[in-house]
Amino acid sequence: MKLAVVVQRYGADLNGGAELHARYIAEHLARHAQVEVLTTCARDYITWRNELDPGPDVVNDVPVRRFPVSRERDVDDFGQRSTQVFERRHSVAAELAWLRSEGPTSPALVNHLRHHRADYDYCIFFSFRYYHAYHGLRVTAGRSLLVPTAERDPALGLRIFAGSFRSVRALMYNSYEERALINAVSQNDSVPGVVVGIGSEVPTDPQPDRFRQVTGIAGPTIIYVGRIDENKGCRELFEYFRRYARIAPALTLVLIGKPMMPIPEHPQIRHLGFVSDQEKFDAMAAADLLVMPSYYESLSMVTLEAWALGRPVLANGRCDVLAGQCARSNAGLYYDSFEEFAETLHTILSQSALRRALGANGRSYFNTHYAWPVIERKYLNMLDQLERADQSDDDRPEPLPGWLGRRRRDLPPGRELVDQLPTGPASVTEGTRES
Amino acid sequence: MAEFNIRSDSVDVTRIMEQIRERIREKRGADYTEQQIHELATVKLESFLDPGQVRSDLVEHFRQLDPPGRIDPIPPWPVTAPPPEVFDFDQETIYVSSRGPMGKLIRLIRKLLNPLLKLFFNPTPVVFALSRQAEINAWTVQLLQRQTDVIERVSTQFERVGKKFAAREELDVLNYEVLNNLVVEMTRLSVDVKNHKMLVESVAGRLDFSERRSRALESVVQKRSPRPPDATETEGESADASATGSGRTRRRRRRSRRRPGGAADGGTNAAPSTAGNGSAEATTASTPSSEATSADVPSGEATTTVAASGEAAHEVASGEAIATVAPSDVTTPVAAATPSPASTAPNSAADAAPTDPPPAIAPAPIAAPSPTPAAAPTADSTEPSRPDADNGTSEQ
Repeated sequence: MKLAVVVQRYGADLNGGAELHARYIAEHLARHAQVEVLTTCARDYITWRNELDPGPDVVNDVPVRRFPVSRERDVDDFGQRSTQVFERRHSVAAELAWLRSEGPTSPALVNHLRHHRADYDYCIFFSFRYYHAYHGLRVTAGRSLLVPTAERDPALGLRIFAGSFRSVRALMYNSYEERALINAVSQNDSVPGVVVGIGSEVPTDPQPDRFRQVTGIAGPTIIYVGRIDENKGCRELFEYFRRYARIAPALTLVLIGKPMMPIPEHPQIRHLGFVSDQEKFDAMAAADLLVMPSYYESLSMVTLEAWALGRPVLANGRCDVLAGQCARSNAGLYYDSFEEFAETLHTILSQSALRRALGANGRSYFNTHYAWPVIERKYLNMLDQLERADQSDDDRPEPLPGWLGRRRRDLPPGRELVDQLPTGPASVTEGTRES
Repeated sequence: MAEFNIRSDSVDVTRIMEQIRERIREKRGADYTEQQIHELATVKLESFLDPGQVRSDLVEHFRQLDPPGRIDPIPPWPVTAPPPEVFDFDQETIYVSSRGPMGKLIRLIRKLLNPLLKLFFNPTPVVFALSRQAEINAWTVQLLQRQTDVIERVSTQFERVGKKFAAREELDVLNYEVLNNLVVEMTRLSVDVKNHKMLVESVAGRLDFSERRSRALESVVQKRSPRPPDATETEGESADASATGSGRTRRRRRRSRRRPGGAADGGTNAAPSTAGNGSAEATTASTPSSEATSADVPSGEATTTVAASGEAAHEVASGEAIATVAPSDVTTPVAAATPSPASTAPNSAADAAPTDPPPAIAPAPIAAPSPTPAAAPTADSTEPSRPDADNGTSEQ
């Protein structure tokens, strides 16, 4: 079986969520099938500037084929078009123009898929919202799988993507909440789908004492790992922690990640910057819990890593995915306000038995659902199911409206549509057909 | 905080969250959240503040004030090109030509043909009107130039005013914040003051009750300790002697009280008391006491002693009562001397006992001392009996 993994960027040093996800999947599926990665020459997801050489390459023993991006992103143009399709009534043509503006616009990649699609048994696309995924799915409709990595953002409400969700052979979701969102926005109940997620390479023997010796941090500790960004809920986290720290003077908040916003000067907040994986896991093992303040996540790998290390998680309850995962795993608590933040944090920190039980549940949840053998098996089972289904290769994507229909401004704003989607943790039993 | 019952495999996060949220709701019942404080601050402040001092609708009034509309700066004058040049028009203008030397020839020809032109129409009024129009245009240009200068000056001043106004708006926002915070804090403080007032009232009530209780207890002690003077006189015993040995009497009284167990051992000598003070010791003794002697009667068990002034004591027994009247034998029931939780209550038996009048006391011979009357401790006794705590020894 030959598989193509199609992703917007690819590299051993690229740590974006979807890109890392794609790399992990490609490397693990390469043990069971012939895998080739099709991607662009870009490294920067803002400009899509061609920084890598086009042509074949090899990354961690996986063959990679890169294609140039025909034009870099014009940020101003992209902003204007985003406003147009997210905030106003618009047309299909406007959405397609927005997609071209967003990029990475690589007709060469799409043409390669069009001409060589017969060379691959299946093409696994990552990130529904990019140019390569939309047009790639249209030229490989009969043999395409999609890992949407969708979250509650206005792009999900665009009409063109609903057709993508309905025309793929299968969907590999990251969470039940993501599946519920996509089902609601596209009514793709007939498309096979499975909640897979992603595993993580977690060391079996992290050294929390080493972390405490190196940093000198003692006493109760909570940790945040990730981009320190307002969009990740860090401003709210800082505010809540400063208030809570007044009654918990021994508690320390450890931050690991690249700061995109000012970090408040506080004696109980320690920013360690960007650290190695070993240091990161040592720190997570030394912490009493991981706090995840993000509002929007399709799948938090850090949360899964914390659970793999047996650490409970305190998540933002306004993120449906995180709250749902905490409830399903029984491995973390969540908060909607400062009062709940203080109560949940105090509950976990003050009750060691509960903390241990949550951590044990997290470890068990990770091993049951997110260990690599489980992930690989889910992918292989889905591919086997598609092969047995004997679907014709001549599947056509949903046709676009005609010239006039594409220019008819009858589509609602994307944000308005997304705001109407169901919220809250999703039920495990609901959703599309499981494989 | 209540601990969760935890089994490692049975943690239910949903239930824990429900408990936490329930706990938060309970706390809100006892304490005010920030949101509730703000709500309180926006409603009737008369409930919390002195209406004569603070306007209750201060915040609301501030909010209802018409927010000043945003002042857009005057756009600059759209100068797309320099103003057109004023065209001077006179009577010769219609004949001139701009073709250089040829123009002079053309002008000459036009002049020559002018009479012919006048055969078709009269150009003079046209020339006059156009020349006047040129003058008007020149005047208009000057006027517009002046107006432009005025507008520029006004715009400059308006910008200055706008900046001042913007600064004022920012100040207003700050003022509002300060005012809002002030009202919220005042509300919070008022609530705290109310709570503290209630707390003080509660503590004052408890203190008052404690004082009344302590006075009641003091009165009990005072009523128990003094001996009615007529009792000593009736006894005819030596009050003088007791005066010299009062301290000793008290000590003896305590010691003899610790021998209620003697009743159990020497129960045959005990006699039920009819003049008891309601103590348990007095009522439990039911052994006939026909053979009893005063020395064999343990204090507080078969006898009830009514102490008076520490100078004399009467041991009263019913039936074949034996009364021992000796200052050194004065005993006091333990129950009366040591207030139990029940005895501390007003109107208890212990309180009522001292007020009972002493019964008639029959004189009796002084009994012989018991060899070891209090050797065995009683069930009620918590301290071992002492060999010297013997009634008889003192009488000897």
